Amino acid sequence: VRIGFPRALYYFDFYPFWAGFFYSLDIEFVTSQPTHRGIMESGLKMADDETCLPVKLFVGHIGSLKNVDYIFLPRMVSVEEKTYLCPKLLGIPESILSAINRDIPIITVTINWREGQNRVLKALAAFGIELGKGEILIRNAFKEALKWQAFYEELRRSGKDFQESIDLCERSFAFLSGNISYKLLKSKKSKENQDPGDFRPRIALVGHAYLINEQYANLDLVNKLKNNVDLLLIEEAEAEVIENSLKGLRKKLFWSDSKKILGAGSSYVDDETVDGIIYLSCFGCGTDSMSQDILARRARKAHKPYMVITLDEHSGEAGLVTRIEAFLDMIFRRKDNENNFSAYGEYMDNY
Amino acid sequence: MGNIWIIIKTLFELLNVEVVVPPLTSKKTLDLGTKISPESACLPLKINLGNYIEAAREGADTIAITGGFGPCRFGYYGELQRQILEDAGYSYDVVILEPPDGSMLGLLKRIRYLAGTQNSWGRIMKAIRFAYQKSVFIDRVEDLIHAARPRLENKQETELLYQRALNSLASTMSYRGLEEVIRSVQAEISERQAAQNYLTGSESAEPLRIGIVGEIYTILDPFSSADIEKQLGLLGVEVDRSIYLSSWVGKHVFLGLAQGYRSMDSYPKLAKPYLAHFVGGHGQETVGSTVKFIQKGFDGIIQLLPLTCMPEIVAAGILPRIQEDYNVPVMSLIVDEHTGRAGIQTRLEAFVDLLERSRCLKEKVSKETVPKETVPLGRMC
Repeated sequence: VRIGFPRALYYFDFYPFWAGFFYSLDIEFVTSQPTHRGIMESGLKMADDETCLPVKLFVGHIGSLKNVDYIFLPRMVSVEEKTYLCPKLLGIPESILSAINRDIPIITVTINWREGQNRVLKALAAFGIELGKGEILIRNAFKEALKWQAFYEELRRSGKDFQESIDLCERSFAFLSGNISYKLLKSKKSKENQDPGDFRPRIALVGHAYLINEQYANLDLVNKLKNNVDLLLIEEAEAEVIENSLKGLRKKLFWSDSKKILGAGSSYVDDETVDGIIYLSCFGCGTDSMSQDILARRARKAHKPYMVITLDEHSGEAGLVTRIEAFLDMIFRRKDNENNFSAYGEYMDNY
Repeated sequence: MGNIWIIIKTLFELLNVEVVVPPLTSKKTLDLGTKISPESACLPLKINLGNYIEAAREGADTIAITGGFGPCRFGYYGELQRQILEDAGYSYDVVILEPPDGSMLGLLKRIRYLAGTQNSWGRIMKAIRFAYQKSVFIDRVEDLIHAARPRLENKQETELLYQRALNSLASTMSYRGLEEVIRSVQAEISERQAAQNYLTGSESAEPLRIGIVGEIYTILDPFSSADIEKQLGLLGVEVDRSIYLSSWVGKHVFLGLAQGYRSMDSYPKLAKPYLAHFVGGHGQETVGSTVKFIQKGFDGIIQLLPLTCMPEIVAAGILPRIQEDYNVPVMSLIVDEHTGRAGIQTRLEAFVDLLERSRCLKEKVSKETVPKETVPLGRMC
């Protein structure tokens, strides 16, 4: 059997988990091609108008999956206690059924960590019957999947970028059969050798994984920034740091993505060495509308340069480049004029 | 949110807590709210903020808002609105009515804080029960008016009757008074119906029926929905909606112990073939109620949602399949701060035209055995 998985949306967060799961079950697990123009256009044409860009891309990717026996669209309800993922993920696969061509059967399983690991295992066991795999196999596969995911997250924290981490993850498990070489996990990104006089700003890029790692749709924002600045990503933030910087909220956030974004984002706001924060969002994102606003308030109070980039299907490259340049110019100027306090001892941006 | 102010006002007045009822939501309210809201937040958040600002001008200092634990955005309104209002220079105390971290004691503490030290728990429970009863009566009045609007000739009289009934419900503080209001509304409607039948010499034809489903705030709040119920009523359509105030109160305030005027319990089951998992907000209820209305023989369904509403977008992606399966028209209307009444009205008229035409066709087919005649458009009926 060949199972197809769209390279969009939760792919960017949980691919290692599913790859490990199916690898352990000895089922061929393939993903669609990286997003290209054709995928994006078919997604825009087929998907519901009102939904967000990542879901539209998701639909496009499903359409581009050929030569597979099944398409695997899990329903990811929650991945940790007391939180949910976005409601649009809860509605998958039903919400996109009317948008896709249904020649290839769809298989799904509900993943809900809210009620603990046993419930997840139960759901997977039921799913295993569909796949024709026994409970012991599923149990092992689940363990393997968790290992892959943990290793992937470790790699990301050590500063490897998305594609590199996925490749390393696949290589070390699939080809070295589990003998993970922990040498891969080098210590934290060391500051590259640079001229001490040469100022390179440290910029944090925050946002959903499926926007930041979606190279085509975000117009290769990550590499554009990396050419000019030292880039920090939320995947590199430690869980502890995230938890700590969320303490200022009177009510806990109930979306895991937003928790990560806001937690890591707030830690960058408090971090003196970070020169600016860029929030990458997409039009119509419900969770971002809340977390972005809270983060913006925090950044404003701390006088931290902050910019929101909203993606949609019409994003143009020139516009994006202009905004990044303007933002960086502002940071350079700020650096140059850092000692020029106003006579009243207040920041200019108070007015 | 529509007539909920009557219930909240009753509740706090029974507890001798001073309540500020801000002016009814208007364009100005929305403008005030939009100015300080995040741009891509949903419409209810913006209206809420506008209401708070207008209430602050009349001296309100505490906000009581219900909470939730996701994944709908509404669950986080309380905390976000607190921060927004604080930054905008309003000194409000925000009390989120929910068990914080699942602790019931925390919820009771918050209720105690709102109610002050003067009220015994017995009195608080009594007040809540009466407020709930009132919400059931408001729903009953609304239902009577929904039926009366398309059937009674004098439209303005009907609206006046509705306003009068709401006013007397708002001021009544006894169960007998509530019964009284319902009886008088019923009496007046049937009296006028009888007079009308006598004058025209016949019963009026059965009106078209449209089910309104969707996001709770927009379907309950006439300002956000551009008075959709009234407009449809004026077009001669009888409406019913998926969520009534009391069912929401019963489910969320009484934790499902009270059923409300119209129970919502059957919705998830009906939604199952189309959406097997809940998606937050009332997404699954929207799908389930659409199926329910269609099974009850409604002619069309209108879904209302605020722009970017996450659960309803999921539902909107599913409704086309229901439309296909049952062959009943479903329309999604999206509202935000730029919605114009005329735009909504045009779409409603077009939708009603479509339903009337398909009804005429159906009747024609059943009456004539040889319908092979081409009729020019517009002369169908």
